[in-house]
Amino acid sequence: MIIPVSIAVLVTGGVYLLLQRSMVRIIFGLALLSHAANLTLMLAGVSAWRGEPLPDRVDTAAAADPLPHAFVLTAIVIAFAVTVLMLALAVIGHNDDTKRMPPTGEERAT
Amino acid sequence: MNPAVLPLLLAVPLLAAGLLLIVRHRVVQRVLLLAVPAATLVTAVLLVLEHRTVPVIAHQVGAFAPGVAIPFVSDTLSALMLAVTSLATLVTLWFLTATGEDRYRFVPPLALMLHGGVNGAFLTGDLFNLFVMVEVMLLPSYALIAVTGTWRRLGIGRTFVVVNLLTSATLLTGVGLVYAVAGSVNLAVLADAASGDRALTLAGAVVLLALAVKGAVVPVHGWLPQTYPATSAGIMALFSALHTKVALYAIYRVYTTLYEGPAPWALVLVVLVAVTIAVGAWSTFGEHIIRRALAWQMVAGVGHILVGVALSTTASLAAGLFYMLHHIVTMGGLLLLAGAIEQVYGSGRYERLSGLIHRDRAVAILTAFGLLSLVGIPASSGFFGKVALIGAAAGAARWEGWLLLTTVLVAAVVSLVAMQRLWAGVFWGQPMEDYRPDSPETGRAGLTRLTDDVVVPLRLWAPGATLIGTQLAMFFGAGVLMPLVTRAAQGLTDTAPYVEAVLGR
Repeated sequence: MIIPVSIAVLVTGGVYLLLQRSMVRIIFGLALLSHAANLTLMLAGVSAWRGEPLPDRVDTAAAADPLPHAFVLTAIVIAFAVTVLMLALAVIGHNDDTKRMPPTGEERAT
Repeated sequence: MNPAVLPLLLAVPLLAAGLLLIVRHRVVQRVLLLAVPAATLVTAVLLVLEHRTVPVIAHQVGAFAPGVAIPFVSDTLSALMLAVTSLATLVTLWFLTATGEDRYRFVPPLALMLHGGVNGAFLTGDLFNLFVMVEVMLLPSYALIAVTGTWRRLGIGRTFVVVNLLTSATLLTGVGLVYAVAGSVNLAVLADAASGDRALTLAGAVVLLALAVKGAVVPVHGWLPQTYPATSAGIMALFSALHTKVALYAIYRVYTTLYEGPAPWALVLVVLVAVTIAVGAWSTFGEHIIRRALAWQMVAGVGHILVGVALSTTASLAAGLFYMLHHIVTMGGLLLLAGAIEQVYGSGRYERLSGLIHRDRAVAILTAFGLLSLVGIPASSGFFGKVALIGAAAGAARWEGWLLLTTVLVAAVVSLVAMQRLWAGVFWGQPMEDYRPDSPETGRAGLTRLTDDVVVPLRLWAPGATLIGTQLAMFFGAGVLMPLVTRAAQGLTDTAPYVEAVLGR
C-alpha cells in the first residue's frame, strides 16, 4: 500500500509543478512523474517486499521478478539523459521567468 | 533471409552515428549519411520480397529462449514501413545536403541515430523495447529540432521535449501495467490476450493513449502544429515521415495484437478519429504559411490513417496502411518543395509569395500534384488511399462506417478549398518583385529586388520531385501495392504466424 500512496503523491506533485511557468519547475515536475512511472513498473513485478533475484542465494519462490528491475534501470537512464538535456534548454537562450517573451533576434526579420 | 540481419538494421545506423562523431571528414560524412538509409531501403525491399513466401521471420537476440529473449520480428507490415520510411529518410537527408544543413556539427550522427531508432521501433516484438526504441528516436530529435536554427527554435524545442517526456512517462506506466496484468510484454505472448480480460483492456488503453499523443490524435495534437513548422523544412520533413508514423504503426500493431476485433472502448476511438480528420482539414484554413498549413494536413492525415484501426476489419486496416504509405511519401515531397521555396525566397507566407509559376514552373506543377494527392484527386496515390478508405467504411456497414465515410468526404472537399488557397497564394497572381535572399552571415538579408535569374535550383527541388514522382508511381503501381498492404493487414488480424515465428509454437 505504501508504494501506491507514494505514486499518488509523486504524480500530484509532478502535475502541480508541470503546470508552473518556470522551465526548471517543469523539469522537476517531469522528474517526479517519471519517478512515479518507475515505481509503477517496480510494483508490476513485486506485490510485496521480496528477496533479491539471485537464484543461488534466494529461493526462486521468495525472489522478486528481475525483469521490472531491468525495465526501471533502462527507464531511469533515459529519464536522466532527457532531464540533463532539458536543464540545458532551461538555461540556454532564455531567462527562466517566461512572463516576458525573451529577445529572439527575429523580430527585425519579420 | 537470415533473421540475424534484423538487429543489424538497428545496430548499423547507431554504429555509423558513433563513427561520424569521430570522423569529421565532409566526404565520409555525406557518403555514410546517404549510404546507411540506402542500405536499409535495399534490405527492406528484400524483406518485402521474402515475405511473399515466409510471412514472418523472427530473431531472438543472444539466442535466449523464446519469450525471455528480446525478439526482433519482421512481417510484411514492418518491411513495408521500413522501405517507405527509409526512402523518405534518404531523400530528406539528400535535401539536407543540398541546403547545407548537414554541415552543422552534429546533424549527420543525430540523423543516423534517429534512423536507427525508427528501424528498431518497426522491428521490435516487445512493448518495453518499443518504448526504448521510441526514446532512441526522440533523443536525437530533441537536438535536431534546435540544432539547425535560431534561438526561437530552442524555445520550440522546450515544448517538444516536455510533451514527449510526459508522454514517455505515460507509455512507461502503461507498459508497467500491461506487465503487471499479463506477466509479459512480448507482443506474441500478448496476442489476443485482452479479449475478456478487463484489466488488460484498460492497461492496453493506457499504452494506446500515450501512442495517440505521439501520433498527434485530436485532442492531444496541439504540440504538432506548434513545433513542427518552427524547425527547418528538411528536419520537419524528416520528423513528419518518421515520428508520428512510428506512433501510428505502433497503434496498429498494439491495438490489433492486444484486442481481437474492436476494443470495448472502440466507440471513443471512432469519434476521436472523425474529430481529428475534421479539425485537421478545417484548421488548414487558418494558416497563411505553407508549412503550417501542411502541419494541419498532417493532423488530418493521422485521422485518415486511424480509420483503419477504428473500424478494424481487414479491408479497413489495409486501406489505412495504404493511406499511411501514401501520406509519408506525399507529405515528405510537399514539405521538401516548400523548403526549397523558403530557402530561395526567404519566406513561406502566402502574402509574401506570389506568381511563382512564372519562374518555377516545375515546382508549381509538382506542388499541385502533391496537394491533389493530399485531397485524393487522380492521378495520385491519395486517390486510391481515399477510395480504399471509403470502400472499407461503406463495407463495414455500421453507423461508425457511415460517420467516418461522411467525415472523410466532407474533409476532402474542405481540404481541396484550403489547398487551392495555398497554391493560388504562392504560385498564382502577380509576379513577385522583391524577396529576402539567403545570407550566410545574418541568415536572411533584407528586402532585395527580385531579378530574373533567381529561381529554385534543380538541386533543391529534385528531392521533393523524387517523392512526388514516387507517389505518382504508387498511383500507377497500386495494383502491386494493394495486395501487399492487404497481406500486411491479414498479418495483423491473424496473429497465428506471428506467434509461431516468435515463440516457436
